[in-house]
Amino acid sequence: MASSVTGLGSVLKRKDSMPSATATATAREDDQLIITPLGAGNEVGRSCVFMSYRGKNVLFDCGIHPGYSGMAALPYFDEIDPSTIDVLLVTHFHLDHAASLPYFLEKTTFKGRVFMTHATKAIYKLLLSDYVKVSKVSVEDMLFDEQDILRSMDKIEVIDFHQTLEVNGIRFWCYTAGHVLGAAMFMVDIAGVRILYTGDYSREEDRHLRAAEIPQFSPDICIIESTYGVQLHQPRLIREKRFTDVIHSTISQGGRVLIPAFALGRAQELLLILDEYWSNHPELHNIPIYYASPLAKRCMAVYQTYINSMNERIRNQFATSNPFDFKHINPLKSIENFDDIGPSVVMASPGGLQSGLSRQLFDRWCADKKNACVLPGYVVEGTLAKTITYEPKEVTLMNGLTAPLNMQVYYISFSAHADFAQTSAFLNELMPPNIILVHGEANEMGRLKQKLIAQFADKNIKILSPKNCQSVEMYFTSEKMAKTIGRLAEKTPEVGETVSGLLVKKGFTYQIMAPDDLHVFSQLSTANITQRISIPYSGAFSVIKHRLKQIYESVEAPPEEPDVPTLIVHERVSIRQESENYLTMQWSSDPISDMVSDSVVAMILNISREGPKVTAVAEVEKTQEETEKMAHKVIYSLLVSLFGDVKVGEEGKLIVTVDGNVARLDGKNGEVECDDDSLKERVKIAFQRIQSAVRPIPLSA
Amino acid sequence: MGTSVQMTPLCGVYSENPLCYLLSIDGFNFLMDCGWNDLFDPNLLQPLSRVSSKVDAVLLSHPDILHLGALPYAMKHLGLTAPVYATEPVYRLGLLTMYDHYLSRRECSDFDLFSLDDIDAVFQNVTRLTYSQNYHLTDKGEGIVIAPHVAGHLLGGTVWKITKDGEDVIYAVDFNHRKERHLNGTVLESFVRPAVLITDAFNALNNQLYKRQRDQEFIDAILKALNADGNVLLPVDTAGRALELILILEHYWSQQHLSFPIYFLTNVATSTIDYVKSFLEWMSDSIAKSFEHTRDNAFLLRHVNLIINRDEFEKTAEIPKVVLASMDSLEVGFSHDIFVEWATDARNLVLFTQKGQFGTLARMLQVDPPPKAVKVTLSKRVPLVGDELIAYEEEQNRIKKEAALKASLSREEELKASHGSDTNAPDPMEVDASTSYVSSGSGLRSAGHLDVFIDGFTPSTSVFPMFPFFETTAEWDDYGEVINPDDYIIKEEDRDQASMQILHGDLDIKIEEGSARLLLDLTPSKVASTELTVQVKCGLTYMDFEGRSDGRSVKSIIAHVAPLKLVLVHGSAEATEHLKQHCAKHVCPHVYAPQIEETIDVTSDLCAYKVQLSERLMIDCMCTDIGDYEIAWVDGEVGKTDDMLTLLPLPSAPLPHKSVLIGDLKLADFKQFLASQGVQVEFAAGALRCGEHITLRKISDASQKGGSGPQQILIEGPLTEEYYKIRKYLYSQFYLL
Repeated sequence: MASSVTGLGSVLKRKDSMPSATATATAREDDQLIITPLGAGNEVGRSCVFMSYRGKNVLFDCGIHPGYSGMAALPYFDEIDPSTIDVLLVTHFHLDHAASLPYFLEKTTFKGRVFMTHATKAIYKLLLSDYVKVSKVSVEDMLFDEQDILRSMDKIEVIDFHQTLEVNGIRFWCYTAGHVLGAAMFMVDIAGVRILYTGDYSREEDRHLRAAEIPQFSPDICIIESTYGVQLHQPRLIREKRFTDVIHSTISQGGRVLIPAFALGRAQELLLILDEYWSNHPELHNIPIYYASPLAKRCMAVYQTYINSMNERIRNQFATSNPFDFKHINPLKSIENFDDIGPSVVMASPGGLQSGLSRQLFDRWCADKKNACVLPGYVVEGTLAKTITYEPKEVTLMNGLTAPLNMQVYYISFSAHADFAQTSAFLNELMPPNIILVHGEANEMGRLKQKLIAQFADKNIKILSPKNCQSVEMYFTSEKMAKTIGRLAEKTPEVGETVSGLLVKKGFTYQIMAPDDLHVFSQLSTANITQRISIPYSGAFSVIKHRLKQIYESVEAPPEEPDVPTLIVHERVSIRQESENYLTMQWSSDPISDMVSDSVVAMILNISREGPKVTAVAEVEKTQEETEKMAHKVIYSLLVSLFGDVKVGEEGKLIVTVDGNVARLDGKNGEVECDDDSLKERVKIAFQRIQSAVRPIPLSA
Repeated sequence: MGTSVQMTPLCGVYSENPLCYLLSIDGFNFLMDCGWNDLFDPNLLQPLSRVSSKVDAVLLSHPDILHLGALPYAMKHLGLTAPVYATEPVYRLGLLTMYDHYLSRRECSDFDLFSLDDIDAVFQNVTRLTYSQNYHLTDKGEGIVIAPHVAGHLLGGTVWKITKDGEDVIYAVDFNHRKERHLNGTVLESFVRPAVLITDAFNALNNQLYKRQRDQEFIDAILKALNADGNVLLPVDTAGRALELILILEHYWSQQHLSFPIYFLTNVATSTIDYVKSFLEWMSDSIAKSFEHTRDNAFLLRHVNLIINRDEFEKTAEIPKVVLASMDSLEVGFSHDIFVEWATDARNLVLFTQKGQFGTLARMLQVDPPPKAVKVTLSKRVPLVGDELIAYEEEQNRIKKEAALKASLSREEELKASHGSDTNAPDPMEVDASTSYVSSGSGLRSAGHLDVFIDGFTPSTSVFPMFPFFETTAEWDDYGEVINPDDYIIKEEDRDQASMQILHGDLDIKIEEGSARLLLDLTPSKVASTELTVQVKCGLTYMDFEGRSDGRSVKSIIAHVAPLKLVLVHGSAEATEHLKQHCAKHVCPHVYAPQIEETIDVTSDLCAYKVQLSERLMIDCMCTDIGDYEIAWVDGEVGKTDDMLTLLPLPSAPLPHKSVLIGDLKLADFKQFLASQGVQVEFAAGALRCGEHITLRKISDASQKGGSGPQQILIEGPLTEEYYKIRKYLYSQFYLL
């Protein structure tokens, strides 16, 4: 197996640089596996990874880049032909993994099938509708509208965790990924080669989600996220404590806390933390917590329904009361409804402070040093949230003015992405021979790559981090195994024996069987077509017999049917004289029989036309010997034309001399005696071809 | 040779008894379902008790008593220890069903075959799978893959596919091919040519009405009774078909704006609906779709009220109402009590939606004509009063003392091991009389025992410390067991202890509100039974809402699946025999219907070996695409590399082979095709007359899919141009290899 990284656009070009013979080249072409990130290659955002193997094409995720708008936010769909994609698998509902789906489904030639988990599908619609409403781009820049989302809903199919599905021979199933509700890692199996795409995953169980599972089988390729690179998370409890401490101290000093968070996913986790903290601290009960997301409210039903995707803890709580029914958290519709009179905690979207309510509040609060802004998740490059982590003196407000940044900025990550410890443990467990890093900022990814290379130095593991549109090519020579079944397999053959039968391929499994068994082992059936045709003929039957014998070697009259004159030609076609005026001819369909029957028909028609004028020529009964003699003669002359120097030896042997090498050919059974192997082979093949020309119809049918 | 497959029915063949079968695949023993009936008759489990220790895995297919009822009993008393596999809803609803049965039984009898603890213990070691999840067994079952697939019938209902070495064994009982309100139809039809299919003959002789018509009749019958000022009782199961009925009622009630109250009355009604709300993934596409689009959970019930105890039900207004109450057998539970109450009023209606289990009250009432009167036992748990209460309290004190004693003796108990019970059992009153005496006495005795131990004596009986054990022998009179309240008082205490264990134990299973109520109800109580004869005046109707495929569909599904071997179970003797005859004639020659404990060998007589296809061979292979398949003719020479057989290209040109025509000609389709080509075509005497003179007919009986060989088609006619044209069209329907 070899792998290489090639430049832009090589996916569509045929690579024929292989020096080996053409046969191997075709085979290798077949064995080539290509992985191309169309987005999320050395960046975070617009996850989209294309994979192709054995003519099957799979696309993982279909996101947008939150840092760009319009077409610029899309993955590089131009690199692929959407109509060739068989399956599109979406790991979770986040915009950077799912938001270009309506565009891809509705505005491109894509006609494959799309799968996501139940929870993802339910939230996807809400989230994208909200995205369409909130994003403030001009109409022509809109990638899709509400109608596109609704139409895309009908095309999306659902898959449950661990459920194995098969589409066009591509088998796939998904594992729990942690991260957010409904997040999945997809395992794809094409002709025995397994590829794991983790999407965003977390190996740490939190308040409501399960940790990502370790797949039962090790994949051949693992496409893994590298968001946090070589960073390590603090233990969850410490992070939670820091988080609550920061909030507690800020509000006890009379400040306001802004938590810009993406509406869904991690926000629910933070709310669970805050609600619990408030319950345990009665002194805080007069401080309001606002959650400014009507979207989240609408998604609550989804959270309440898919408890089976969450961890045991939440499911046990669910049995008594709904844990997502918060006691201390108030919804906030918009900034107009917000009564900003004293200390408060506000969680608002978007998480990147690009626009919307979180930005409005930020603009209002950023100048006061009593206030605090807690960034609870990964902040994407190019957003204001990322800018303030560098602690600038001043920031630009939405209205274009600049303002001093006095408020405290804390970065306490709750984003459920794996850190280095988790990634390395996960890979250590799986030991995939190929690792492809995606979904990580270039520097982080580079550091992670170096560290992983060091970690797996003694193992034969390849670690690659392709850029967007850079293809990774690998070769998997999967052995094609066939199972011989049924009558054909009654006895296991010895070396050198011949196996003839139908090779039936379904998906990537092969079976060899006898034609008669086809209907037993597949849904296909075989048929025999018997043809019976009546031909007007009023002449003598013996004329036909005579003529047939001139053409065919085997013309027999069946012994058991004396009442109706019957002839059987080559045990294929039988001709009966049914009455004075017509003959019937019966045979079973097959190209050779059809040909024979056609010639018989032509002959009979000729006889009829020529009428009785033609009388039988003296019946020259050709003996077997004479036929053989004729054949021998023909063989001889043909061999002469091929090899030149051919002599007739004793016992009908033919002696062929080429460049001093002598071959003795037995004209009866085709055996060749020769010292030179290549000549022997040539003579043998020549003889076989001559034979098949001289006797195109085998005597034994 | 193929994988060895043996099957032994343990219960539920040639009858409608609960389902329980032992399926052994290459020596790995699966117990397919572990059912019991509503009467909890231990005799049914005799065959199971003989093999239970050999079982390696239990696969459950439906969350009802007939499919999983015996599990707690078998685990506790019959030595069944194997891991259990089920889908999430079967696990959860099965648990609730068991709770409901237990609580209903407990309410009216002193039920001691298993306890809530036993139920919890069993369900804790269930491995939950999702549909189409390929679960690879390990250790002894290495190489076996089990996968649940949609069966319909009940929520989470499963068709099990067990695969080993590419051969499938499919266990499909109680499936429904029709899509219902809350469930998708089974995917059984997508399995083609499995090695073995195990299915039931339950409905082989039944044929259903069309769904729409049936729903309407159902609603009409209910409304008729309600409008006539009567009540309607629907005896239902705890968490199975009841869900479908609830949805039907919900739908009609909101469509027609009806105001008659509907009650869903089981011991676990609220939790059932709570859990069901979170099982949308398992339900029909339309329910999932409506949730995705509008976030309307179909089980957010607007018209159906959930009630979990009798008192609450009695508080409901005295107006005509519809009550769905468990159990469907009418043997015990709320339905039993309500039936007794309502049966005497001609205005009321009891509407059965499933065929009652054999020997139950429901079955008795379903006969035609219905009985005029039935004898029922009305049992109720009543609090103790007066002397009984005093006796109980005395007993309580005594037990408390014993507990204190036990604590003080705990160390000695450990040493005394089995002898503790021997010494205490003969006369517990003596223990009661003087604590100090016993403690000193036992101290002495334990010293003695120590000596004995030193002498090398090993106790031969049980080695576990035991609490004083009272053996009660049941006394019977004409009215059944003679009830001695004292016995139950002690048991009550046991139960309280059990409940404390649950509360303190680290059990992740929610204690049902109903069960909690009963468990925490410390008021001493006893069971009072009265036997009475109820005049059955109310209306009795049976409508089939069982959600099983009917006879005709079962036959066509089996014919479509076309297993190589077919095993029939679960169904009356006539139904089994009927289906057996039918399938032997039309589906496959190997149809088995074994008797209980009769082991049949359904190992496929399939021969197979594996060969590697060499690349050189594959390059020359010209594959023809036929639907999902690609087919080619191969001629290869067998070679050997690294112990593997390899198929290499022949060194010389192969002999021409007999050509193969592949395709399935349907005369009707072909007729259409010809017509579209402008050929005059008509059916005449079973043959297709094409044009003027050409006749096309099928010779063999093509309906038999498994047994027969290739199709035989005869085309005949005079020598004309038309003949060759028709032949060309005919050839176009086939692939030639």
